[in-house]
Parts: sequence; structure tokens; C-alpha cells
Amino acid sequence: MLPCELPARSSERAGGRAVPLWLLSLFLCVGCASYSDKVRDARSALDAGRPRDAIATFNKRLGVETEKEVPDDIHGEKVLYLLERSVALQSVSDYALSSRDLEIADKQVEVLDFTHSTLDDISKFMFSDDSGPYQSPAYEKLMINTLNMINYLVRGDLNGSRVEARRLATMQQFINDSDPKHAGVGATGSYLAGFTFEKSREPSEALHFYDEALQHNTYATLIDPVAQLAKLDSYRTEKIKQMLASAPKDAPEIPADSGEILIVLGYGRVPAKIAERIPIGLALTLASSDLSPGNRAQADRLAAQGLVTWINFPTLPKPGPVRSVPTIQVDQRQIAPDGTVQVDALAVDAWRETKGKMIASAITRVITRVVAGEVTKKATGGGTFGFLASLGAQVALTATDTPDTRSWSTLPARLAVARVRVPAGKHVIDVSVSGERKQQTVELKPGGWAVVNLTVLR
Amino acid sequence: MAFKATSMSRNVLIASTLGLLCMGCAHHTRAVRGDDEPGLDSAAMSTGLDRRDLQRMLNENMEKMRTSAVVQRWMNENRPAVSVLPLKNETSEHIDGPLQALISDVETKLIEWGGVRVISLENQQDLLNEIRRQYSEGFDQSNIAHWGKQIGSRYFVTGKVYTTDERVGVQRRVQYYMFMQVIDVETGEILFQNKSNVTKAIVRD
Repeated sequence: MLPCELPARSSERAGGRAVPLWLLSLFLCVGCASYSDKVRDARSALDAGRPRDAIATFNKRLGVETEKEVPDDIHGEKVLYLLERSVALQSVSDYALSSRDLEIADKQVEVLDFTHSTLDDISKFMFSDDSGPYQSPAYEKLMINTLNMINYLVRGDLNGSRVEARRLATMQQFINDSDPKHAGVGATGSYLAGFTFEKSREPSEALHFYDEALQHNTYATLIDPVAQLAKLDSYRTEKIKQMLASAPKDAPEIPADSGEILIVLGYGRVPAKIAERIPIGLALTLASSDLSPGNRAQADRLAAQGLVTWINFPTLPKPGPVRSVPTIQVDQRQIAPDGTVQVDALAVDAWRETKGKMIASAITRVITRVVAGEVTKKATGGGTFGFLASLGAQVALTATDTPDTRSWSTLPARLAVARVRVPAGKHVIDVSVSGERKQQTVELKPGGWAVVNLTVLR
Repeated sequence: MAFKATSMSRNVLIASTLGLLCMGCAHHTRAVRGDDEPGLDSAAMSTGLDRRDLQRMLNENMEKMRTSAVVQRWMNENRPAVSVLPLKNETSEHIDGPLQALISDVETKLIEWGGVRVISLENQQDLLNEIRRQYSEGFDQSNIAHWGKQIGSRYFVTGKVYTTDERVGVQRRVQYYMFMQVIDVETGEILFQNKSNVTKAIVRD
């Protein structure tokens, strides 16, 4: 019997007998673990350097046997599990499957962005922040296309990478217009998009993307490519002019029998959201500018009566230090990483801006619970039954209030690139970071290129 | 009476609370066949191109081609050899697969019209891969004549699909443009060109 069916039956009977049934049904309807609880095992596996185990955990969450499968119905948290699995797959060099997951998730994230309904607002207001569809923050949206460009470039697929670059450009345009402070996380994506169009012999597009990358970061490895592209296209901005000014005037022409190797590193992991419990007094201070005067007065009154003491809300902890320093060698020659993007710091910055709203939302829900308890008490005529019913309503609503700890928690904390021009022929690339090492031999034709990736999620 | 009112209020409260708590509990999926579900093929599932969009754009272009001067020219040339090259994907969607499938559709139309000999590239995989690589790394127009000689074709039918992709507020709109061309292999001259378009969007009702 479904819990949802219980009230109809209970209403046929005496009021006193109905109480345990509907209370029971309330508890059956709740009891959901938070998102961070559900992915804890996978994160632990990644911490221990066991990405295959993490992938297996995500498979389980997705309801599939292996990573080769995608669930028929991707709804709710499954979108996030797909995103989580895609990065773990990239870390084990399964670039095709990683691409597939990212592309499916990308479409779903887009739809979810537009799916927010009044019912979701009511659910958030009444029950829990995570009762509505997942709305991914700007930095996550930009990372979908960035990571997928890596997947395509590693496989030498400029067509696929161009599609991702165009998707990135649309999203960047949207974020530049609506949320410009968080566009910085797209620097690596813009670099990769510029590289994609440079190798596709589309100099204008390449310069536009390189300029976007330079707006948010410094890339010494772009001096030569920008100088070469500027010979083919007239697009100029302040950043491009600066790059051209810093290029050596007597630089030799690029040898025709040379090629380029681009190394893209992802390492560390962004912090995962966790539930935090803070006293109501502190919560009221932190959310002072995000609470309506009415809610604030009501919260003050309930706090003074001792009816509300603690607030539960999700938080993104300060990122831990990423101590690992990548070492990159091409034919035993040391190459320095360039333009490292601190994804974790940008994620925390983005979170800080919404923190007040999240606390205000948690306070509002607590007020709702207390008021619901009072209403239930009055509606049931008070007395022992009224007290039990009121308590039941409050306990059930408290149990449903799982702080929204949903976030893309397998994103690398750092993204860095390294780039080197080498003679055509065979080359050995040796990359190490966070205790993992990758050796790969690439063979370049004259004018050719190769992209090598190492993603280590710890 | 007072008891009834209290009981009713309580039941309404309980039912509405449970209803909200349990929303989303019921979730059923099933496999369906297009023939059995009216409108299944016509519903837009995303901003990507589906079969209906591609067929619409292709049919529009092919209809224009059928009545163009180039087809008259073919009729006067005693069944010249024509090959269909892959359509270039210049969009923000991964539609290489569907575009690949369109090659056979174009070939079928040309065969149905008569007047040309269609030489398929499917049996020349190395060349097809080389063409795809060239598309990927920047197209060099001078290759047209070289490929024509290799295949033995007098004309190429090809095309590309572009997008204008915008996202504003709670709407995303993707406008697709499909260009189709007929190219004279020897001269590189474009003998026919037409554009058709389709718009897809995600909007909030």
C-alpha cells in the first residue's frame, strides 16, 4: 500500500485511530538522505585513488550495471550522477563515454533551468531546498563544455570540439550578460575553444576565444599563437594588442615541419556541499539582508519563545589547499603549466553570494513548520490529540527538510594547460600530478597537433 | 456539527500535506512505438534537430534544386556522374550522425529524378575519411577537383548546417540554416545554392 493512499482510508474512521496511520505515512514519505550522503562513498573512493570504484557507485545510483549504460529515464538527481560519472570516466581516460554522459547531462541541465515551477517554489518553501529541480550554477554550466572539449581534443576530433566551443560561447554570452562575476571559470574553456578553431584554420574565431581567455587569465603560451593568428585576421582588442606587443619582434617563422602538443591537466576536487547547523541568532544575522521584514519579525518572536533554536542549511566549505604541483615533461624536457584556473575558489565565491538567500530560505521553512504545527493543533481541537498531531506535523516537516547539498562534486579543483612546439615525429609526454603518472607517445605530422590529458580527482 | 467541521479541516490539512509530501512518488515509464502513439514523432524533445526538422529542410532544398537550372543542365548532359559529399556541421549541436544519414536521402532523391548517375562514396571509405578530416581541419576548395577525379564525378552535391544560438532569460532559441550546393568539380563553380531554415527553442509556458 502506498503511503499516499492512507489518508483516504483513515478519514473513514474515528479521528483518534487516524493519527498513527497518517503519522506513519508521513514518515514513509520522507527519510531521504541528502545528496552529499549519497555520493560520499564515491568521493571516498576518489580520495583513495580508486576512480573505478567511484564509477561503480555512480552506476548504482543511476540504476545501471556498467558505465556503458545510461538510464532510460534521466530525472531528478540522475542528471548530477551523470555529471559526476563523466569526470570520473575522464580520469580513467574513457573519453568517449565521458563525452556521452556530458552531452546527455548538458541537455538535461538546460531543460531543468527552464523547468522551475510554482509547485517547486511551494515545495522549497514548505519542505526542503532540494525538493525542486537542480539548478546548476554558472561555473558548472561552463565546465560541462570545457571538459567535453578535452574529451574531443584528446581524440583528435575538431568537429566535436567545435560544437562544444559554440555551446560554450552561447553559455558565456548568457553568463556575461546575467552573472559576469562568474565568467572567469570559463578561461580554460575559452583557451581550448581558441585552440580548436586555430587548428580548424578559422583565425577569427580563434582570436575571439583567445581574447575571452585572456580577459580572465594570463597565458604566456598564447603569445606565439596570437601573433601568428593576427597575421591572418584583423580582430584586435586591448588584450590581443598587449600580447602582440609582448611577442618578440625578430621571432623566427614557425618551421613547417613542426607540430604542437597541448597538455591539459585537471587535479584536486572542488569541495562538496555539506549540511551545517547554526544557531538561529547567527542565522538571522547572516541572512539579515535576505529576509523580509515580516519573516524577520516572526523569526525573532519564535526565537525569543524558544520555539526555534537551530537552522539547517547547506554550505560549501572553504577549499582545502591543493598541494600537488604538476610536473610535465616532453622528451624529458621540463614544461611549465600555464594559466592555472582555481575552479574550487571560483565555486566557493559563487556559493558565498547565495549563502544569505539559502539561510533565509531555511529560516522561512522553520517558521512554516512552527506555524503548521500551531495550525494543526488548532484544527484538531487541542488536547492530547492536538498536541500529538502538531508534533507529528512539525517532526515530519523537519524530517523532510534535507539541506540542498546537490552540486557537481567531482569537478577538478584546478585546470591547467601546457603547450609546446616540437619537430614533427614521435614524442614522449610524461605527466605527473597528485601521485598519478601518465606516459604517452604521440606522433605528429608536419603542422600536426596532439592533446594529452591527465585528470586526477584527489 | 462542530466535530464534523474539525474533522473535515483536519482531513483536508492531512491530505494536502501528504499530497505535497508524496508528489513525485508515482513515476511510471514504458517503451512505446511511434505508430501507436499519435504525435510522438512530431513533438520537439530538445533544441537539437530531429528527423522531422532534417527532412523538412532537406525536402525544401531538394525541391528548389529539382526546378533549378542545374537539373536542366544535367538532363542535357546524358546522365553525368554526381556524388553527394557529407554535409558540414557548423552548429552548436552534435548532429553529425543525422547529417550523415541525409547523404543517403539526397542520393535517393537524385536517383528518383533520373538524369544522373549517382556514385556513392560509401564504397570509398579512405577517401570519405580524408574528406571528413579535411572538413574537420579546415576545408581547402582546391581539393574539390582532386576528389572529383578520384571518384570519377562531374558534380558534387554538398552543404552545411549553421546555427544562431541564443539564450536570454528563461528561453533558449536555436535557429538552424541548411545550405545546399551543387559544385562543378572541374571549375569549382557553385551552380546551385539554396537555404532552408528551422527554429527550435525551449520556452516556458
